[in-house]
Amino acid sequence: MAENKPIIHVEHISKQFGVHTVLRDISLDVMPGEVVVVIGPSGSGKSTFLRCLNQLEKVNSGRIRVNGFEISDPNTDINQARRHIGMVFQHFNLFQNMTVLRNITVTPVDLKIMGKEEADELALRLLNRVGLGDRGNAYPDQLSGGQKQRVAIARALAMAPMVMLFDEPTSALDPEMVNEVLEVMKELSNSGITMVVVTHEMGFAREVADRVIFMDDGIILEQGTAEEVLDHPKSSRTRDFLGKVL
Amino acid sequence: MISIIQTYYKMLLMAMGNTLLLTLLSLIMAMVIGLIFALCNVGHSRFFRMIGTVYVDAIRGVPLIVLAFFIYFGIPQGIKMLGYEFRLTPLQAGIVALAMNCGAYMAEIFRAGIESIDHGQMEAARSLGMSYARAMYRVVLPQAFRVMIPSIINQFIITLKDTSILSVIGFPELTNTGRTITGNTFRSLETWTIVGFMYLVVIILLSKSAKVLERRLKHGRK
Ligand SMILES: Nc1ncnc2c1ncn2[C@@H]1O[C@H](COP(=O)(O)OP(=O)(O)OP(=O)(O)O)[C@@H](O)[C@H]1O
Ligand SMILES: [Mg+2]
Repeated sequence: MAENKPIIHVEHISKQFGVHTVLRDISLDVMPGEVVVVIGPSGSGKSTFLRCLNQLEKVNSGRIRVNGFEISDPNTDINQARRHIGMVFQHFNLFQNMTVLRNITVTPVDLKIMGKEEADELALRLLNRVGLGDRGNAYPDQLSGGQKQRVAIARALAMAPMVMLFDEPTSALDPEMVNEVLEVMKELSNSGITMVVVTHEMGFAREVADRVIFMDDGIILEQGTAEEVLDHPKSSRTRDFLGKVL
Repeated sequence: MISIIQTYYKMLLMAMGNTLLLTLLSLIMAMVIGLIFALCNVGHSRFFRMIGTVYVDAIRGVPLIVLAFFIYFGIPQGIKMLGYEFRLTPLQAGIVALAMNCGAYMAEIFRAGIESIDHGQMEAARSLGMSYARAMYRVVLPQAFRVMIPSIINQFIITLKDTSILSVIGFPELTNTGRTITGNTFRSLETWTIVGFMYLVVIILLSKSAKVLERRLKHGRK
């Protein structure tokens, strides 16, 4: 039953920064377990769209529901809603004042989701899953970019999210570190978690995306399977964009 | 000079102790005041931002000595006019005046410290489900505090020197004691040399240990 109900439901949202309209009447449904890759030129509103999904940005109009939480409703307990929406940032944003292990455990322990021992165990399991089981006691600035991003993914997973949002998770990485992060994300995509990924990694899109969305100037201009959008784009804007990134 | 030291060393040391006590107590209060108004200033509420700005601007726009007179003489008189008896000891008035004054500067130090922390830290904490207050307390403030330590120590030294202004309300801190001694002995040159030297030694000790602390915090963790 839950299978055919969208886990992310976006209805006619618009977003302005001052007089500048960044999102124009966007609607989108994402099904549980679906992996959606968002592509588009710089400034087209990809990050803003993603950040609206967990209310790091507030929409000006329209409606967003994620995991059954009415994100755009001011009466929603947004802290509660965010627990089940993981987010991974371009610049990692690991807590600089904490060890890797503490980065992962601090939120579940503070929010009394689990005890300290249980959280430590979980953190260690997650670190092993992202290939960093031995770095728990390191501080973020002792890690490489790729390692930081894998810790950031583990940190998000510790909250047992239903949905994971990725905003260009590999854009700030040296080329040789991109793959280690993409591998973790691929593994994640097989676990049944719902993912919305903003990225320029077309190889990743082809391999794991159930759907590719092309955003341009605040609208979803085109969407379909990776093959449809990347290999047979309908609009000339999409073709132009792909011509530049490929 | 030797005779002044011999006669008055107890009094001078007591006065130095009073100066340090006054500094320390006002500094602790100032940190609390500073944190409160800094949080007002970095928050999203316009109302609280206005309160923060008004406080900082008002206090920084009034000389400490005027603030001290206002608190020591003005406020008790005002309360008396309302029909209540109210008095402040010079120490109490001095601490309040210094704390309010120093608090405004602390607020600016805290604000700058908080604003120097990458906004991504707050966003990451919020995205995990932490409240604003918890994210502030767990993630942003500990990092901001590190950045602020040199400025806080600098403010400590300024406040220590500012205590001398409070000699005007009669609290027997170091400068006031210097005045007492010159009043008794008429030996200004020697007395003020000794008093100046005492300030100097304490302040140099403070800033040296501050440097050590700063270096340790930079390299070691926690
Ligand atoms: N906080 C903000 N205040 C004002 N304008 C903003 C803000 N955030 C984004 N914008 C503007 O909104 C538009 C869309 O930005 P957004 O970051 O969503 O684009 P993007 O598609 O993620 O681009 P990129 O590929 O460069 O990351 C841009 O024109 C940007 O300048
Ligand atoms: Mg972006």
